[in-house]
Amino acid sequence: MVAFAQSVPGAVLILGGGVPALAGTELGPRMMVFLQSVLSGVLVGGVYALIGIGLTMIFGVMRVTNFAHGELVMLGMYLTWGLFHWLRLDPFLSIVLVAPALFLWGAFLQRAFVNRVLDALPQNQILLTIGLGLVMSNGVMLAFTSDYRILTTSYSSASYDLAGISVSKPLLYAFLVTVAITVLLYGFLLRTDTGQAIRATAQDREAAQLMGINVRWTSMLAFGIGAALAGAAGALISPTYYIFPQVGSAFTLKAFVIVVLGGMGSVVGATLGGVIIGLTESLAAVYIAGGLKDLVVFVLFLALLVFKPSGLLGKTRA
Amino acid sequence: MSKLLASALAALAIALPDAGQAQVKIGFINSITGPEAPIGENLTNGVDLAVEDLRKKGVNVTVVRQDDTGKPQVAMSAMEQLATGDEVAVVVGPYTSASSNAVAKLAQQYKVPQIVPAAAKEEITRQGYTYVYRLNAPAHQYAQSLIDAALAFGKPRSIAFVYESTDFGTSVTAAGKAYAKAKGLRIVADETYQKGAPDYRSTLTKIKAAGPDLVFMVSYVADAILLMRQSREVGLKPQAFLGGGAGFDTAQFESERDISTHVFSVTQWTPESSPASQEFERRYRARFGKKPTYHAACAYVATLVAGETAAKAGGDRRKIQAALGSGRWSGILGDVKFETYEGFTNQNKLVMPVIQYQGGRSVTVFPPAVVKAKPVYPFPGWR
Repeated sequence: MVAFAQSVPGAVLILGGGVPALAGTELGPRMMVFLQSVLSGVLVGGVYALIGIGLTMIFGVMRVTNFAHGELVMLGMYLTWGLFHWLRLDPFLSIVLVAPALFLWGAFLQRAFVNRVLDALPQNQILLTIGLGLVMSNGVMLAFTSDYRILTTSYSSASYDLAGISVSKPLLYAFLVTVAITVLLYGFLLRTDTGQAIRATAQDREAAQLMGINVRWTSMLAFGIGAALAGAAGALISPTYYIFPQVGSAFTLKAFVIVVLGGMGSVVGATLGGVIIGLTESLAAVYIAGGLKDLVVFVLFLALLVFKPSGLLGKTRA
Repeated sequence: MSKLLASALAALAIALPDAGQAQVKIGFINSITGPEAPIGENLTNGVDLAVEDLRKKGVNVTVVRQDDTGKPQVAMSAMEQLATGDEVAVVVGPYTSASSNAVAKLAQQYKVPQIVPAAAKEEITRQGYTYVYRLNAPAHQYAQSLIDAALAFGKPRSIAFVYESTDFGTSVTAAGKAYAKAKGLRIVADETYQKGAPDYRSTLTKIKAAGPDLVFMVSYVADAILLMRQSREVGLKPQAFLGGGAGFDTAQFESERDISTHVFSVTQWTPESSPASQEFERRYRARFGKKPTYHAACAYVATLVAGETAAKAGGDRRKIQAALGSGRWSGILGDVKFETYEGFTNQNKLVMPVIQYQGGRSVTVFPPAVVKAKPVYPFPGWR
């Protein structure tokens, strides 16, 4: 009955290939499981952070919580998928196109819709952004159906071997790009005049306006950057995840938790929050139960809200 | 011609005073939108083909479609609408286990015959509901077929379970654990996950550390691809990967050759099972441009059975119930008969074939009666 493996024609892909585990440095299985979960937690957390940073910037400058943020990530994913599917463009390279496209889209959304509710009640702002999100996800469903799209690249399931711990190639690339984008963003916010204008507007909208900062323009810019970051995150996740029109809602919720955890409006806080959530999910899946990892995340979240309502790095709002 | 006339007269005699042609109204609850929509689409296609065939036979069917978005509570209100508002004769669906089980209770309450085409949860036909009929094999057969196959191919001693925390995942796994124990397999890992999580690497590493001979996974749609990709990343290499249908039995999974090759899965139906099935595949491909899944075949047969029975009974729910209980059909799923046995009520006994992905397509490897190719066992490693 049993046929043993026939030799498979074609090139044999050697996984990892790099670092051979040195004799004597073999890690115990328990330690290995721990390190593996920490590593994948941090790598996934990096991408979460990028989504969170976008949301926190929008909130910081406009005091509007963008509940359509996950849908912007979703749009980024579909754009990446389309570029890959039709033009064979590598998902990591496509960021160069996806981020500017999402920037323009975000700026348009801010100008056309969000700008009109800046002084409205918070619940109206929430309803507006939720509505925008619904229009986006259902619009995409109309155009692309609800089929799951999977982006398969040559490195989709490849990994590096680091003394027995596997480092997912696509996830590692995504993490490195995230770090680069975050560093650039910090540089932009700290070193440039426009960046300072954004930070000033975030600190005190009226005072910034009195100092001659064009607050309307700054808001549009911030929303555009937030959307571009969401789009970039979408492009980065595409090779390791799957794509469907409703994928956004999970990311909206996650981004919201990250932002509140880190302190609303704090970019550093969101970075930290993203990594913490990634780590918590990963460790909870191993040491508690995979099915309960969201529970662990939200218990942690609630505990933080009880003990430090302003978030890890947030300033209490007057 | 005279045959047609005779059947028309018969239909006339039974109930409908004004119809020269049998006219029936069937309810169809399905996941048309929502996360299970990609699988739901297969059911819709199967139903569409069945309606065509019924019309050819002179059964004029009206299908009242309801979308449950994959949620049991929505499925329940859909059922109430079908039972009391549209007053359908019989209901086909819903797709998911959770929705089907919720609707079964209402089917019994409103006395509307329900034919479940593809939901696996054991309980659906274990509650003594006399109005609920299930065409597909229940959860325990997924696990039994797969474990039996693995034991026939080699000598595995231990098994790990990875499954999503849904009705389908937990019921297939619960049955699988019981069967594995009965067969003397040691259960070395039992891991649930929440569907849609982007990262299963830590869970899979934990399983790798446990070193099981068999890895049994239960998952809907795209998570199956993610689980296998990440298994490859972390270098999980058991004697065999056993996929419990659903996401492991889709055209998309089949096309991902890097990760699907040599994976076993269990299914309710394969296109290669009979000439009639091959003909169904040909028609389906010509019409929808893709390979039919078992969901399509099950929905197709369920609708044929529902339509024919309802037409013969003139749309009378009580008569349909009686006819479903005593009837016997044969078609692309083989012989269909709803039986009461071993705690099941109105359950069709379907033998589930085990398939293995070899070179980008699925071939039937178990049980011996329906084998089309030799299995590759143990898993030769990642390419």
